[in-house]
Amino acid sequence: MKNNKGVKMVVWSRIRKDFPVLNQLYEGKNLIYFDSACMALKPVQVWNAMEYYYKYLGACGGAGRSTHCLGLETSLLTEEARKKMTSFINASDVNEIIWTRNATEGLNIIAATIPLKKEQNIVTTTLEHHSGMLPFLKRSKEVGSEFRLVRAKNDGTFDIADFEKQIDDNTKIVSFVHASNLTGTIAPLKEIIEIAHDHGALVVSDEAQYAPHAKLDVKNLDTDFSVLSIHKACGPTGVGVLYGKYDLLEELDMFLVGGDVIEDVIYENGQITAKYLPPPQKFEAGLQNYGGMMGASAAVDYLQNIGMDNIRQREQVFSKKLLEGILEIDKFDVLGPLDYKQRTALVSFRPKSAEINHNDIAEYFNDMLPQHKILMRAGNMCVHPFQYQIGMSPAKGEGIIRASLYIYNTINEIEIFLSALEDFAKIIE
Amino acid sequence: MGEHKDRNIECVLAILQKKNPASTKEIMAMRDLFPKLCAGCASGGDVVLAGKSLVEKGIVERKWSSIGFIWELVSDPGYEK
Ligand SMILES: Cc1ncc(COP(=O)(O)O)c(C=O)c1O
Repeated sequence: MKNNKGVKMVVWSRIRKDFPVLNQLYEGKNLIYFDSACMALKPVQVWNAMEYYYKYLGACGGAGRSTHCLGLETSLLTEEARKKMTSFINASDVNEIIWTRNATEGLNIIAATIPLKKEQNIVTTTLEHHSGMLPFLKRSKEVGSEFRLVRAKNDGTFDIADFEKQIDDNTKIVSFVHASNLTGTIAPLKEIIEIAHDHGALVVSDEAQYAPHAKLDVKNLDTDFSVLSIHKACGPTGVGVLYGKYDLLEELDMFLVGGDVIEDVIYENGQITAKYLPPPQKFEAGLQNYGGMMGASAAVDYLQNIGMDNIRQREQVFSKKLLEGILEIDKFDVLGPLDYKQRTALVSFRPKSAEINHNDIAEYFNDMLPQHKILMRAGNMCVHPFQYQIGMSPAKGEGIIRASLYIYNTINEIEIFLSALEDFAKIIE
Repeated sequence: MGEHKDRNIECVLAILQKKNPASTKEIMAMRDLFPKLCAGCASGGDVVLAGKSLVEKGIVERKWSSIGFIWELVSDPGYEK
C-alpha cells in the first residue's frame, strides 16, 4: 500500500501478527517484549525458510561439497542468501560477505588476523560493547602495541576532536560501535571513518545495533569492515555477518583452518602444503549453518520489504515517546543523549535513589504486574567501562534496566509501560 | 545441601543463613563472605534466578517491598527432600 506521495505505507498491526510469540498469553498475561537489543523476535517467514531447509534439504552445500540435488539446492539457496546480504548493506560484491556465528566472531576475526606491528596502535572507545573492545585489547597485548581509548562524553555522545587526538599515522585500526547497545547513541561514523582514512587507518564498525534499525550502506560510509548480528535483525540465532572490502580481506591471515577453506592440501616429498581458497571461503571453515543462512536471507527480505527508512521512522516515534515518558516521571536517570533523534529505540535507566537492585526492577515488570509481563534486560549490557566512567560500579552490583523496542512493538505498549513505571516509582519512593 | 548443584543457589542459601530475611541488594553486598560459593553469582540477576528456584522448591519465600524483593528462608534446606 502507498500513500498519496507514493511512499510505501506499512500496516504495523499486520507486521505484529507475523510474531506469534506476542500473540500468546504467558502464565495468563500479555507479553510486552522490550528486549530486542538483546534478541529480536523471529517472524514466521524466517522459520518457514529454515523449516524448508531442515525438512526438505538437510544436506551440505558450499565449495567442493556434495553436488547431488539436495547439496546443489542448499548451495544455491545459501549463495542467494549471500547476495541478499550484499544488497542489504550495499556491499560491492558477494565475496565481501562472510558468514559468522555472531558479531563477536566477526570482531575476533578482524582483531586476530589484521597485520599489526608493535609500533602501531589500535583505537577504540569507552562506549564499546566488550565484543568490540576485548578482541582488540587482547591482540594489542599479544603484539605489544598501544591500545588507545577515545572517551565518550558522559551523555554517551562523542566529540569528533577526541578522535582527531587519538588517531595518528601509526593507527592500524579503529574499532567503533555505530549504535550503542547501552545508550542508544548513533555515532557520527562517517566523520570518524574520514579521520581514520586520512591517517591511513582502517575502521571496523560494529553494526550489531544499527543494521537492524536503519539503512546501513557500507559503500557510502566507506567502512573497511563491519560486523552484524543477525539474531538482532529478526534472523535466527547463531548467525552473524562480517563484511570487509575484498582487497583487505585478501590480506588478512586465516582465522580458523580445516575443511571448506582449502583449494588443495598437497602431500609431496614428505611435506604438507595447504593452498587456501580466496575470501569469503577462506574464513568459513567447516560445514556451515545453512539453515541459519536461509533464515538470515528471509529476515533481510522481511526487513527490506518493510523498508529500513520506515523502520527508522517508526522507531523514532517510539524513541521520543519512551525517552520523554521516562524523563517526565522524574524518578529515573537515563543513560545517553536526551535528544531522541540521536538514538535508536532503546532507553537504559535506573532509579535516582538506588536503594533497589536493578534486577529486582526487571523482575518486578516480568512478574508483578497484574495483566502484563514487560520483558526488559537488567545488568551492565557488556559495556562495563562506560559505566565505570560515569561513576557506576558494576563490581558492586550496580547496573541499569534497558527497554529496547523493535518493529513489532506499539505505542500502546509504551503507554502501558510508562503507566506501570509511574506506579512503580511511587512504590519505591 | 549437597543436592543443590547450582553454586549460585548455595551462595544465596549461605547468605540467608547469615541474614534472614534479606533483600536482593543485601545479598549482593554479602557475596564477599562466601567468595568460593558466590564466585559465579556475579549479578543481581543471578540472585533473582537462584532465589526464584528456591521459592519453587518451597525453601524460600519472596515478598515485594519498596526496596525490592525480600528473600526469606522458610525451611531448613538440610531437611528438604
Ligand atoms: C553493540 C553490540 N556489539 C556486539 C554485540 C555482540 O553481538 P553477538 O551476540 O552477535 O556476538 C552486541 C550484542 O549485544 C551488541 O549489542
